[in-house]
Order: sequence, then C-alpha cells, then structure tokens
Amino acid sequence: MNNDTPVIEIQNLVRRYGKHDAVNGLSLTVAAGKCYGFFGRNGAGKTTTIKCLLNLLRPDAGTTRVFGLDPCRNEVAVKSRLAYVPDMVAFYPWMTVSDTLEYLASFRTHWNRDIEADLLRRFQLDATKKTASLSKGQRTQLALIGAICPEPELLVLDEPTSGLDPIVRREFIETVIGAYQSGDPTRRTVFVSTHLIAEFEGLIDEFTIIEQGRELLTMNADAARDRFRKIHARFPRELKLPLSGALSVKYAGREVEILANGNSEQLLAELKAHQPEELRTESLTLEEIFVASDVLRQS
Amino acid sequence: MILQIDFKSGQPVYLQLVEQVRHAAASGSLQAGEPLPSIRPLAEELRVNRNTIAKAYAELESQGVIETIPGKGCFLRAVNSLLTKSARHDLLAQEIDRAIVAAHHLRIGDAELLALVQKRLDIFDRNNQAANDSKAQP
Repeated sequence: MNNDTPVIEIQNLVRRYGKHDAVNGLSLTVAAGKCYGFFGRNGAGKTTTIKCLLNLLRPDAGTTRVFGLDPCRNEVAVKSRLAYVPDMVAFYPWMTVSDTLEYLASFRTHWNRDIEADLLRRFQLDATKKTASLSKGQRTQLALIGAICPEPELLVLDEPTSGLDPIVRREFIETVIGAYQSGDPTRRTVFVSTHLIAEFEGLIDEFTIIEQGRELLTMNADAARDRFRKIHARFPRELKLPLSGALSVKYAGREVEILANGNSEQLLAELKAHQPEELRTESLTLEEIFVASDVLRQS
Repeated sequence: MILQIDFKSGQPVYLQLVEQVRHAAASGSLQAGEPLPSIRPLAEELRVNRNTIAKAYAELESQGVIETIPGKGCFLRAVNSLLTKSARHDLLAQEIDRAIVAAHHLRIGDAELLALVQKRLDIFDRNNQAANDSKAQP
C-alpha cells in the first residue's frame, strides 16, 4: 500500500435490518496517519458501519475498502493489520490476564512484549487474575493492551470509554496517544466512534457526523472550530435584530447569543452597527458542534 | 514552561502552541539552549494528537525559533531569526496593524495605545530581568 491509498474508504454504504435502514448511503474516507472521529446519536448507524468494515456484517449495497482491500474477500489480510476495541469487551472467563494476552498474541505475526509489560504495569493489572474477576474498566484496559501490542496500522475504537470512570477514560486516551502513536505516524491511524467527544477533542484531526445512516457533516477539526462560533452581545436596551443566516439566535432581555456557521464576520458587523455594550465571540467545541448539528439538520 | 490549549479560542491548536513558545522566548521564561518538552509526554499531558505537537515544533523550527538536535530533542535557538531586517519589519507591521484595528474597535486613542505598548514592553523587560537574575543565583 502506498501512502496515498486511504486506510478506510466507504462509498454509498447501505445496510438494512429488515425494513429498517441502519446505514443509508454513507461515504467517508480516512487518510493514513489521521485520527478520525465518527460521531452520531444512539442508533445513527455507527456500530453497523464499523461492523461492515470488519466483515462482521455484509453490506447490502455500496463498497467498503480497508487498506484498499475488500474486507469480505481479503478478511485475513485486512484484519491482520488492524485492531478493534468494541464497547462491550468479552473474554474467556476461565483464562487469566496473561493467558488472554498469550491467546490474542497467537493470532498475530507481531507482538510487542515491551509495550505489553509497560501497559500491564501502568494499568496495575495483575497478570495472574482470571478475566471473570476483572471490573469493566480493567476489561477495557486488557482489550486496549491486546489491541496495541500487535502495533496495528489501524486502531478501530467503538465507544471505547463509555461507562468507565474518569481516571480510566483519561488513561485510555493517554495510552492511545502515548503507546499507540509512538510508531511511524503514517502507519498509525485511529478511527474512533464516541459520544464522549470532549475527551477525544485534542486527538481528532477530522470527523464525520452521521445521522439516520447518512453523513451530515464531514470536516477538519480546526476548520470546524473556525467555522462554528458562538457570539454573545449585550445592548443598552432590548432589541430584535433581523440576523440573517445565523444558525440559531437566543434572546434574553438585552442579551443575545448567536450561533454562526461560517458567517461570524458578517454577523459581528451587523451587531456592531447597534453599538453593543459587550461583544465577544468564541469557537464551538466539537461536542457543541455535534449538538448544533441537530439544528443544522433541521435547517 | 507550561503550555495550555483552548479549543474555544478559534485558533488552530498547533498555532496556539507556536504562539506560547514564542511568547515564552520573548518573556524569558524559556531561554536560549533550554529544551522544549518532548513530543510524547507533552501530547499525553495535553491529550492532543502527537502530530499536532510535531506540526507546532516543525513550524517553530521553520521560523528559526527552535532547533532540533537528533536524539536529544528541541531547543530554543540563540539568535531566533533567519530573515532579513526588512522582512522582519514587514511581519511585525502586520501584527501591529491587528492591534491598531483592535484598538479602534475598543475606542482606544493613539496616545493611549502607545502608552499601553510601553507598559507591556516594561512588563516583558521585568520578566526577562527576573528570569536572568534567578539564573545568576542558583
């Protein structure tokens, strides 16, 4: 694979469950070395999309390519180069932590023992403990060790931190940054679906918001924070302005809060014309953009 | 040197880091020859992508602010400009213009602006002096 081949390429993906269209014409492309966020509400089609990438589900229409290969026809070639952490991790309950890691390593051609020892120490996991007695946080930590030790080119994370305590969540993300990203950056791609967007904010290069199985918004994270801004103004007296093209306008007495979608300069000029006592603007975070995208869908 | 990022500032994350390092160098909290934090621990601490830190450091290096010594890390350069004087004046003029525009909108007059510039220069001088003093007496 040369570096121009996208690590993930999805075109017009359709997957139905009976009459229900879980994914309905989704397209997205993830370039090598990126950390790609995949955001959507419950039932938007995130997990179905991920399962199609991993050949855990067959698409009804459209194409999926991972490393330029078809995951249905080249399942082994694709899976040997990626690792997957689902939201619910399950292990054989009679195996110990070290048995489980041995078992996972037996499927891999490469396994980094140094990283394994390092992460077991960092997470303070007892290698002799049976997996049945691990907490949810410890299971996720074990799954993450199993995903990082083979040093895969692609790490697929599906709601990896939901239901975990804040310290485990923080360690999880630090591990993805520290242990996983330490290799050759062009061979370290992350595809993460999550609701806890704020925690992954600094990691995300680019993202897609999926809504009812369709792409709603795909953007570079810095560009999105530049485009979506919140403007707050206070005037000497109450007034209603014909603010054209604002994503949303909220009045509270003499104050007004406006969401701008790429037109903050024009809106600021309109507001300045009415001599505000106070005028400030800030970017929306990715989480706020996700919430605002609901407005975007309706407009 | 403590670096911080703010996703609400509207400025790309890597540029926030570039500006903070430049500010630290100008105010003396980072001195020539002193190392910058290594990429991995800084990325973990700020919980940002390593590529973002690498991009910020590459930008600082291309601006001549820092230099990379292979195997050792990044260090603040002693003379931190590779550009000619007139090119440096042009770059600074753009920054000054931004401050002038901001002053206009905040209804701050010319004399007041100049006084404020002098005041800020004094603060930077004082910080630099303090940094040098603390280095002289270990």
